[in-house]
Amino acid sequence: MDKLASLLHTTPAIVWMVGKVVVVFLSVFLLASVWTWVERRGSAMIQDRIGPNRAKLFGRWPILGLSQLLADGIKFFFKEDLVPEAANKGLFWLAPFLAFVPALMGFAVIPVGKSFVCDGVTYHLSVLDPGNGMGLLYPLAIGGLAVYGVLLAAWSSNNKWSILGGMRASATMVSYEIGISMAVVAIFMTSGGYDPSEVIKAQGHLPWTWYVVRQPLGFLVFFTCMFAETNRLPFDFAEGESEIVAGFNTEYGSMKFSLLALAEYSHLMTASALVATLYFGGWQVPFVADPPVLLSVASFLVKMLFFAWVFVWVRWTLPRFRYDQLMHLGWKIMLPLSMANLVFHAWRMSQGH
Amino acid sequence: MFITFAFVTLLGALGMLLQKNVIVAGLCMVATFFGVAGLFLLLANPVAAALQIIVYSGAIMVLVLFVIMMLNSHEEEAAQTARPVQRWVSVALVAALAFGAVKLVLTSAGLRAMAVSGEPMPGAMTLQKVGTTLFAEHLLGFEVAGILLLAAMVGAVALTKRDL
Repeated sequence: MDKLASLLHTTPAIVWMVGKVVVVFLSVFLLASVWTWVERRGSAMIQDRIGPNRAKLFGRWPILGLSQLLADGIKFFFKEDLVPEAANKGLFWLAPFLAFVPALMGFAVIPVGKSFVCDGVTYHLSVLDPGNGMGLLYPLAIGGLAVYGVLLAAWSSNNKWSILGGMRASATMVSYEIGISMAVVAIFMTSGGYDPSEVIKAQGHLPWTWYVVRQPLGFLVFFTCMFAETNRLPFDFAEGESEIVAGFNTEYGSMKFSLLALAEYSHLMTASALVATLYFGGWQVPFVADPPVLLSVASFLVKMLFFAWVFVWVRWTLPRFRYDQLMHLGWKIMLPLSMANLVFHAWRMSQGH
Repeated sequence: MFITFAFVTLLGALGMLLQKNVIVAGLCMVATFFGVAGLFLLLANPVAAALQIIVYSGAIMVLVLFVIMMLNSHEEEAAQTARPVQRWVSVALVAALAFGAVKLVLTSAGLRAMAVSGEPMPGAMTLQKVGTTLFAEHLLGFEVAGILLLAAMVGAVALTKRDL
């Protein structure tokens, strides 16, 4: 790394930082686009269909339909970029970026593997090093911003279906955020820290000391609320294509639509990473006290991708909720449950002292 | 860095005042909140920055925009009559207030203590520190704020749901 740094006339720290940013964000981006394929193949599998299998690389290799991704990308790039006549042009352009950037940025604080020491320097495998003071408040803050992308895409299209979708989505996201915060506060309390590395350390390497076992109620609430946060079925009220055409992205086409779709999948990746970090020990490898760095990264990836698959799985298994059922679930079930979880753990901690 | 965040804050505030479109004005306000969060970060208080974004940008502004969209009033209403006198009085009042606030800060004991060289810089704020200060030193204020919010909540429910 020193050699590379001197070649580029910078310091190793900067090379490491830039490398981390590029690798982490690029891999989340790539995983998000691969997940559009997983979604289509997975849905086909669940519904006993075949799914995309026609597109072939150079007209020869279908690679399980993966080349469909490239075909889709090329198609989206070359489609005509339509903007509705009565749309607010500036915001219509801005909205996909406002949806995409927060979805990706939330990942910055999550450690993808164990920190390691090389030549006396500690390298952390998260874009924001631990001890930045924001800790897990950061993904919560960034997650709260994701709603602006949906809201603006909806409003700027100047279309009734879009606005309906945007309003429903923003109401959902704001209501479910409270449940998420309460569940996360219970974790802060029991682990005694709010930095992801502290939370991971507090969970240890034994699966029955992970928070999913110690706080099953919190996990249930957090995971359910994440579906609402990422606008995934059974809570995808931003789209609801059987009710309001395509919801907030009705007027979007070509690359702007593609960005909105990628934002959804990036958000899904960030949400899965959060679930893995908070409740499943992050990079901890089960029964291995001090895993090698690569093994810890692999362990984290396996957990994260498993939850990303659960998101797909649930989408094609459960039907969509009705809107009033959703609000009922959010305010009258999820919020009291997460409060009960919080109070219970506070009580247990007070007994322990 | 300070200049950048200060500019974001001020331009956002200006945009909010000058924009005729209410939604765009709301977005300018979000930009202002971001600028303020950045300033908090520079003041070694990442907790306040995160809370600023969670509470103001993430919740309050979303609700404000939500209500604006629901009422479907996208353009600012024009004033029925021009009120030049009130306008200048308000400008003068705000200027006096700003001048007084800045003067108060510049002559405060805290700032003078910071000017003394060799003074140890306070460490970055953490959530743990916020919690202990809140529950040890400012317990009464915290409880009063809690009761006030509870009263506001009960009042809001009572106002919207007349027949419970």
